[in-house]
Amino acid sequence: MTPSLATPRKGDPIVAMLLTWLVPGAGHLYLGRPRRALAAFVLIEGLYVLGFVLSAGLFLNLLPAEMRGRFAGVLTPEVGNLGALLVHLSRVGFLEQPRAWPAGMHLGMALTAASGVLNFALVSQANFDARVGESSPAQRGPAPGFAAALTWLVPGLGHWLQGRRKRALAIFVMLVGLFLLGVFLAEGFNLDRERHFYYWAGQFLLGLPAIAAEFLAGHARLDHDVAYLDAGVVLGCVAGMLNVLVMLDAYGWSEDRRLGDEPAPAPTPARSEA
Amino acid sequence: MKDLPIHILLFLISGAIVVAIGALFAEPEDDAALALLPRRLLGFFLGSAIVVAVMLICEHTFAAVS
Repeated sequence: MTPSLATPRKGDPIVAMLLTWLVPGAGHLYLGRPRRALAAFVLIEGLYVLGFVLSAGLFLNLLPAEMRGRFAGVLTPEVGNLGALLVHLSRVGFLEQPRAWPAGMHLGMALTAASGVLNFALVSQANFDARVGESSPAQRGPAPGFAAALTWLVPGLGHWLQGRRKRALAIFVMLVGLFLLGVFLAEGFNLDRERHFYYWAGQFLLGLPAIAAEFLAGHARLDHDVAYLDAGVVLGCVAGMLNVLVMLDAYGWSEDRRLGDEPAPAPTPARSEA
Repeated sequence: MKDLPIHILLFLISGAIVVAIGALFAEPEDDAALALLPRRLLGFFLGSAIVVAVMLICEHTFAAVS
């Protein structure tokens, strides 16, 4: 194994992660990186606040009465920004009386969910920064958390920027293809958070393709039987969840590069002598 | 039963993608991941076929209502 090219750690990785999970940027402030902390705070909390305002904070009220409870928000993307979600829940809980959704409901929910996913990427970056400090300029490339965030936005984008172009294209074609197959089978009725609250969380992990599909064709009124609706819902959700593996792959590659632990080359197959 | 071929096709497509992403995750090098793929696909679909057979036998033995 080659020696690490990074400087010694700057703080406790667990503390940095927990702080970031509660308040985006707090982990980096703890690690002595105020500029990165401020930028992360403004971007991620800004997304959440804007989403909250547009949706009036009503996203959990999409749940039917029997599914409402203290932990209803645990399986939502918003849980990635835990502090904001907790403040959100303390301000707007479950309404006793139903009310009309605001005009910006769908966009607002997409923004709060994006804030949560991006903060998960920031949490992973805070962990890395705490463990290794500054990495060598010779090992530059996308930072691990940044690579994961880009891979969330567009499956394969992190790999593309890492120079793994074939892998990036294969990932994009497979995951977006699987997602579109689901959309085709469900005729777009799998895309609305109001209709499939938790499956929507899974498909949201596919990033921009899922968001774009939802806003292009996801909010139509369901007025007929869709034979393969269930299959479409499942395939769309599976595509999003597989993107988590892809994000971890992008993170791991960048981490190895920055630590100087580059993957060993594949062994050459032995040739038999004729 | 008329939908069975479509269901099998959907399972084959989604299963192949799940296995391929798993192979890419397991191997950081593309060539190694590609070399791993046939064996993983075989294992996955063979395992799935065994599960299907066991489920059909159980259904036929314990849950048939004919």
